[in-house]
Amino acid sequence: MTDLRPTRPRTPDRILGLGAAVTSTAALVLALVVAPPDAVQGQAQRLMYVHVPAAWLAYACFATVLVGSVAYLVTRDLRWDRRAQAAGELGVGMTALAIVVGSLWGRPVWGTWWVWDPRLVTTTVLLLVYAGYLSVRGLSDDRGVGARRAAALGIVGFVNVPVVHFSVVWWRTLHQPASVLSPDPAPMDSRMAAALLLAVIAFSLAGWLVLRRRVRQLAHTDEAVGEESSALPAAPDRAPLVVLSRSSP
Amino acid sequence: MSRPDTRPPLPACSPALLTTRRAVSVRTQVLAVLRREWAVERAGREVTVTTIPFVAAFVVLAGLAFGPAPLTLARTSGGTIWLAVLVAGVVIARSVAAAEVAEDSWDVLRALTSPGALFAGKLLATWAALVVTWAVTSVAVALLFDAPPPVTALWAGLFGTLALAAVATVFGVLVATGVRRRGLLSALLLPAGLPALLAGTQLSTPAVPAGPWAVMMAVYAAVLLTASWAVFPALLEE
Repeated sequence: MTDLRPTRPRTPDRILGLGAAVTSTAALVLALVVAPPDAVQGQAQRLMYVHVPAAWLAYACFATVLVGSVAYLVTRDLRWDRRAQAAGELGVGMTALAIVVGSLWGRPVWGTWWVWDPRLVTTTVLLLVYAGYLSVRGLSDDRGVGARRAAALGIVGFVNVPVVHFSVVWWRTLHQPASVLSPDPAPMDSRMAAALLLAVIAFSLAGWLVLRRRVRQLAHTDEAVGEESSALPAAPDRAPLVVLSRSSP
Repeated sequence: MSRPDTRPPLPACSPALLTTRRAVSVRTQVLAVLRREWAVERAGREVTVTTIPFVAAFVVLAGLAFGPAPLTLARTSGGTIWLAVLVAGVVIARSVAAAEVAEDSWDVLRALTSPGALFAGKLLATWAALVVTWAVTSVAVALLFDAPPPVTALWAGLFGTLALAAVATVFGVLVATGVRRRGLLSALLLPAGLPALLAGTQLSTPAVPAGPWAVMMAVYAAVLLTASWAVFPALLEE
């Protein structure tokens, strides 16, 4: 029987893990101790040190899904499909985290858990698109067919990502526009900016580590399934799995 | 040990003849797929019988839900049209490859036509069904909600239905040829049609600046059409 447990951490993983731990600790200290509370939003603003990096990582993951999907369709190398799948899973998780944390922030600041703001709605729709991307893999038992269908959806689904990003500009409603990546950035306390930057780096390093580990785990699963398939006897000699009818004695 | 191939070689063909045949055959294939789609529809009335009553019921129920204040009905008219078209798109997408899969003729069709021709034929048939759905819904909303749509709604009707047809063709084939989770179609199509819903609603609502939305709808349709055309051959492989 094949061992499905992940292999021991490799050197790049150790470096990534160490980097993520150091930057996370520094980001926590900066965000919770050094950075002052927001003049208007109060302590609730500190949730942004999780909300923004989670959203950033989700976008990066969905871009990885696009690259992995295109590369898989061009090369038919399952390594690209595994990268896309791992990125899709992480992206869905990070999008859900961004929505939940944003909702926790919205309650004290906006006075409600949820508003029909286009940014919120389109982000939720984005979550649904990539949940569908992960579900499509179960449409077929064939690994290659599942990978091709998922790649097709990974490309078509990405069309929605720019709509989500630019929705704040197009609708001009409640959700605030980008503070940092804007042509006219809003003034921000340098301690807040440092905490936010470190949190983004910490999320990126941790996300990269999770991706690497998950890709290796998926490769092990593929190898195990391949070995089990090749260990089965050829189809004509295989015993029937289900007895459909039995004649009475 | 494998036996040597004793089959006679295929007849040679001049490059000019090959080019001509290929150029003619792609167009012929598209028309053949389109004719086949219409023949399937004429025989079963699948889309007509399911979609038209569906949008009629949708509009009536939406009027009951949002009305009777005329101002509210006027404000929600554009959204009602595009929500109905988007949801009807799921019904239409279900029939994109359903007949072939049910008849076990999907492999034959896939073998006889090129992926591009098959995509184009299915896309045109789906587009026609969606345009009819949009037109019927728009007329029903204009009459029942007493809210005639602006001229810009025509732009939305043209490009929005084209974008939805592209994505419905891809997802219809993707889900129909699967062995399980066929109910996934609505979960895939509805979120992917979000830009058409948003831009279509704005373009169908009077007194809304149409320029940016018209550009967005056209770009969305072009991007989705290109992406769908590019990924479609991968869905046809064994």
